[in-house]
Amino acid sequence: MDQPSHISVILDLSPSQWHLSSLPQNPYPLSLKSFLAQVLAFLNLHIASKHENTLAIFGAFPGKSVMLYSSTDPASDSSDSGSPNIYRPFEIVDSRVVTRIEEELESIDDSQEEAPIGLVGALTKALCYINRIKHPTPSTQSNGTTVEDPATLPDPRILILSVSPDLSTSYIPIMNSIFSAQKLKIIIDVCKIYGPDTVFLEQAAHLTGGSYVYLERRDALLQHLVMSHLPSPALRKLMAVPTQDKIDFRAACFCHKNIVDVGFVCSVCLSIFCRPVAVCTTCRTKFPMSTLRRLDAYLPRAAKQANGTAKTSAPPTPTATGLPSTPR
Amino acid sequence: MPPRQADDYADESDSDIDILEDSGNRSKKGKGKAIDRSKKDKGKGKSSEQPYAWEASYTRSWDTVQEDEAGSLTTAVADLLARNRRRRLLAPADAIRRTIIRHLIIILDLSLSMLDRDMRPTRFDLSLEYAREFIVEWFDQNPLGQIGLVGMRAGLGERLSEMSGNPQDVLKAISERHRLEPAGEPSLQNAIEMARGSMGHLPTHSSREILIIFGSLTTVDPGNILETLERCVQDRIRVSVVALAAEMKVCREFCDKTGGQFGVAMNEGHFKDLLFELIPPPAQRALSRAAGAGANKPDADLMMMGFPVRLPDTSPPALCVCHSELKSEGFLCPRCSAKVCDVPTDCDICGLMIVSSPHLARSYHHLFPVKPYQAVTTLEEGSAFAKSCHACARSFPDAPLASSTATAEGMSPIGRYRCPDCQHDFCTECDVFIHDVVHCCPGCGK
Ligand SMILES: [Zn+2]
Ligand SMILES: [Zn+2]
Ligand SMILES: [Zn+2]
Ligand SMILES: [Zn+2]
Ligand SMILES: [Zn+2]
Ligand SMILES: [Zn+2]
Repeated sequence: MDQPSHISVILDLSPSQWHLSSLPQNPYPLSLKSFLAQVLAFLNLHIASKHENTLAIFGAFPGKSVMLYSSTDPASDSSDSGSPNIYRPFEIVDSRVVTRIEEELESIDDSQEEAPIGLVGALTKALCYINRIKHPTPSTQSNGTTVEDPATLPDPRILILSVSPDLSTSYIPIMNSIFSAQKLKIIIDVCKIYGPDTVFLEQAAHLTGGSYVYLERRDALLQHLVMSHLPSPALRKLMAVPTQDKIDFRAACFCHKNIVDVGFVCSVCLSIFCRPVAVCTTCRTKFPMSTLRRLDAYLPRAAKQANGTAKTSAPPTPTATGLPSTPR
Repeated sequence: MPPRQADDYADESDSDIDILEDSGNRSKKGKGKAIDRSKKDKGKGKSSEQPYAWEASYTRSWDTVQEDEAGSLTTAVADLLARNRRRRLLAPADAIRRTIIRHLIIILDLSLSMLDRDMRPTRFDLSLEYAREFIVEWFDQNPLGQIGLVGMRAGLGERLSEMSGNPQDVLKAISERHRLEPAGEPSLQNAIEMARGSMGHLPTHSSREILIIFGSLTTVDPGNILETLERCVQDRIRVSVVALAAEMKVCREFCDKTGGQFGVAMNEGHFKDLLFELIPPPAQRALSRAAGAGANKPDADLMMMGFPVRLPDTSPPALCVCHSELKSEGFLCPRCSAKVCDVPTDCDICGLMIVSSPHLARSYHHLFPVKPYQAVTTLEEGSAFAKSCHACARSFPDAPLASSTATAEGMSPIGRYRCPDCQHDFCTECDVFIHDVVHCCPGCGK
């Protein structure tokens, strides 16, 4: 129960989204600066709560992703002597993270600012990093001496603090990351701080057994982080951590990005279409005419359904399901 | 790994004939082979080193391992493992079209020969154990596939489980060992015909595969098994055989003519390797070539699929259509609103194929694989060299590793592997991890 834990934090650092988030017309405006202050306080708590706890911080910037800090590669800067009033490990984390973020944000020029956020890169790096610390190899002899006993690293988790909306192009890589997290038994927690709900991250949290929380009271960020993300997964089983009850498992068609109930799927590349098509637009496979004729019979209904239910994600009430049981 | 196994096989160069000769008393002693072997060991010794044909392509791992200067095996073993893993991920780079929707029937030999103890604890127990692992891994990589089970026992084919897309259903069928107790002789023809019969209705874009785990050297058939082979070719059923005893001509012929794989397990580890080679979705090209005359049939199709709504476990309970049980959680068929327990499945009411979008997504990595990374051989070329791995931030060694004698086969002596797209460097572990598990390059995010 009081085993050490590892947490990999992914900070979504999109300058434009953070600018929008700090505008005063928001119900609870939150600037990047106060966000970082609260997150760092949370991370200090994590380090302080147990000596063996480990930490890695990844930043997702427009068009790239960077590892900002990791506790296995301690800071190389011994230059600043440090303030006598601050616990040394806190100071290292804080100064490293803040300076790295400043460096990275400086280096972004205007043309890059609108580039899609490098969330996938940050997520895959976090996975590779956890894979590395879970399987320490004898080849890391160089200077590390950071060979850790894998038994001391139960239930590593990833915490994503997201402000950017979903990127439809990153669907497949994000799903791939989710499946590898499942394989490694890594929990992905998501805290959505600004912007619309993201379906991809909802699925990430659901499929890995983590929690997805849309933060409404953004002035209570630190409190929320401490209450639901500080306890280790072992402890969390005993607590009532917010979970989602409805998860949308419907898919978006590749042609119009409509959410569909019944879709038409290419057997070769699994592209999803909202209506029967003669040629797959993804892999250029031609479909036989007989199938098209057969499926056209369903078209009016399927099309109606697709239009009718698009974007209405209210879960249907299960009242109509008391079907007569059918013995097979 | 018991090296004795391979030596034994090499010694008894004509065990087939022996076993056929004394097949009369074989049923009595059951372990005829083992006894033959010990007799011959004394007589012939190591005189005949001629290996069997199926042994030729198999390099014994203990032959290739060599001690390093310090007399330790660890570096050699680590090297070997890394090289094997890299070879595996470099191999399938060119196959593009894969059959994603698969239907497989596993035929288990449940004849008396499975009680042979040449594999620990017995062939029977080992096969069951590996079959379980195989099924779990198979469903992980083929989430839209379905597996059925058929047993060969006492001259009959025996249906152990229907085709199902739910791993739990399939595993349950082989969980009760006492119900599968081996008896009698196997009948390949009966079992294959039974498997063939249950695949006749399948659509052409899905694969039809039979995997036979075969421990015997005989088969008791009611008719001509070559006619069965003919019908399998016509139905485009791919038959693969993993034999535990020795090569049988008819098995080899089945595999060759239907485009399947044939292998004889040399030891426990090799048995598992042979099985697990069959897990990745097969390239579709091979299938249509093997089919020959049937190739004009379309192998691509448009499928109608339903994406269900998942009911939380707080919703009011209702009866499911699959088990008629009262429960809260479940999935609603989008066409007829029937409630099913698990996806993917075919709706029991309206027949619509119900999948969740993550199930589809789980197969995408077979279709869009990460490009293989290139091994960086020297530090001289180019100028910018990152100090640490782009993915896990492990620092790279400055000088070539002393112990890396084998620089061939795409191994980098300095432990750097470079993505051809984003030009970032990755360490060996991440290279393997990214290609085997993550299926997404951290540098380019694709
Ligand atoms: Zn569409
Ligand atoms: Zn396609
Ligand atoms: Zn049910
Ligand atoms: Zn239905
Ligand atoms: Zn690495
Ligand atoms: Zn790349």
